[in-house]
Amino acid sequence: MAMKKFLNDPANITSELLDGLCTAFSDKLTLVDEKLVCRANAKAEDKVAIVTLGGAGHEPALQAFVGEGLVDISVVGDIFAAPNGPKVFKALQMMNRPAGVLFVVLNHAGDVLNANIAMEMAEDAGLNVKMILTHEDIAPGADTPIEDRRGLVGCVPLYKVAGAAAEAGKSLDEVYAIAERFNDNMATLAVAMTVATHPQNGAEIGDIADDEMEIGMGQHGEAGTGPCKIMTADDTAKTMVERLMAAIKVTSGDKVLLTINGSGATTHMEMFLIYRAARKVLADAGIETACSMVGEYLTVQEMGGFQMFLAKMDDELIDLFKAPCDAPYWTVR
Amino acid sequence: MADTINADNMLAMLQAAIATIRENEEMLSNLDAATGDGDHGAAMAMAVGAADKAITEWDKASIKSLLHGVGWGMMCIDGGSTGPLWGSLFVGMSKGAGEADTLDSAALATAFETGLEKLQKQSKAVVGDKTMMDALIPAVGAIRTAADASASVNDAMAAAATAAADGAAATTDMVAKFGRARNLGDRVLGHVDPGATSMSLLFKAFSEAL
Repeated sequence: MAMKKFLNDPANITSELLDGLCTAFSDKLTLVDEKLVCRANAKAEDKVAIVTLGGAGHEPALQAFVGEGLVDISVVGDIFAAPNGPKVFKALQMMNRPAGVLFVVLNHAGDVLNANIAMEMAEDAGLNVKMILTHEDIAPGADTPIEDRRGLVGCVPLYKVAGAAAEAGKSLDEVYAIAERFNDNMATLAVAMTVATHPQNGAEIGDIADDEMEIGMGQHGEAGTGPCKIMTADDTAKTMVERLMAAIKVTSGDKVLLTINGSGATTHMEMFLIYRAARKVLADAGIETACSMVGEYLTVQEMGGFQMFLAKMDDELIDLFKAPCDAPYWTVR
Repeated sequence: MADTINADNMLAMLQAAIATIRENEEMLSNLDAATGDGDHGAAMAMAVGAADKAITEWDKASIKSLLHGVGWGMMCIDGGSTGPLWGSLFVGMSKGAGEADTLDSAALATAFETGLEKLQKQSKAVVGDKTMMDALIPAVGAIRTAADASASVNDAMAAAATAAADGAAATTDMVAKFGRARNLGDRVLGHVDPGATSMSLLFKAFSEAL
């Protein structure tokens, strides 16, 4: 079937969507050089800056999480494709300051390659940058090497805790340590029911039978651990949350952040059914859901499915998660 | 048969490669849709677009400046992995070409080897991992082998084109170790790797342009 989307010239999708985003939220965002989404009200120079990078086509992420208490610059590439290294370097250079820059990178081949080129250039230029790599996908197994584990929706709450720590005036080493503690205690598992199409060429990404779903699907619909027959919301949630609980080793008395991130075509109605079921499994195990996120954060066009994310929280992380922030798609007052 | 190539020959080779990749954009995206996210053709079209722009801005000074412009142009596209990988190859080749006005088969082998080395700083992939390396590494090896036997540039590049095509074809029976396709496991068996296919198209065009 031909792709059904509201588009103009496919080559201009990214620049047009960024123009729309940054004019819609002109009180919060400023677009620099067509692809650098920056905070409209620049952060004080004595606070650590947060920079991230990624492809487009996953809206609202990443760029709609630019704002006070979150990300300072999101460097955008093209649809599903990382921005180039020299451009990422430019963003690091713009944010360079004595307080330092935390550079958040999701583990995807193109993101990492371009981030490494930007980091090489940053080191040559003597910039004060620390890079952190998110890699919380447990589809290949929680014990597989980091390079085989993708960065999924976990970057969004990581921006939140790191961004809040930066706003609180913590040093780069402290912000990095907090972000890394969160990073080490989080896990995501994705499930897909229907595939996405690439908005520039109409190609369907992946292949799922009408009566099947696939747990462990990647951000773009790359295959996971294998297809299975469609299950109920309760059974799907239970299967997934139990794997996540085992991956981050939470037990009775622990506190967690539970996130249900819709992939694009799955409704909020379904997401709340899933959230309710997962929260019940956690409660039955004596685990307190101290923080929650249900909605569309990191999507992939019209893919049907969701990512379930679980992070073990301590009191400091909970306070940072609940601290004020002001971005187009995340505001806490 | 030419024993050496000059900057104009290199220009013709690059222009042939640009045309070939453009002709095959849709085919490359279709290959990628089977095992990745379906945008390899678009990314390669962007990369050769940047190469084309670099060629028009070329100062006509040397083979080195031509290859460097093409490589840096590719490095500056927003094409995911494509820009840094292909950009590194050509920037490395420019360094390997040095200041020479003409390259014989041995000097050409050195240029390609230096490009491969630069690329290997960005990617740990080896032959058998179902990546562009499955075409590139045998092709570079074939140029060196031909040069060692005092072959002409034409014969060396013909051998490279054959080696690259064979290497790309062999990816059909491989499980991917890198990129998005690695998450598919055995299900990539029977699908040729799009990156290796692009690389074999490059060598085919290079050879036919001579």
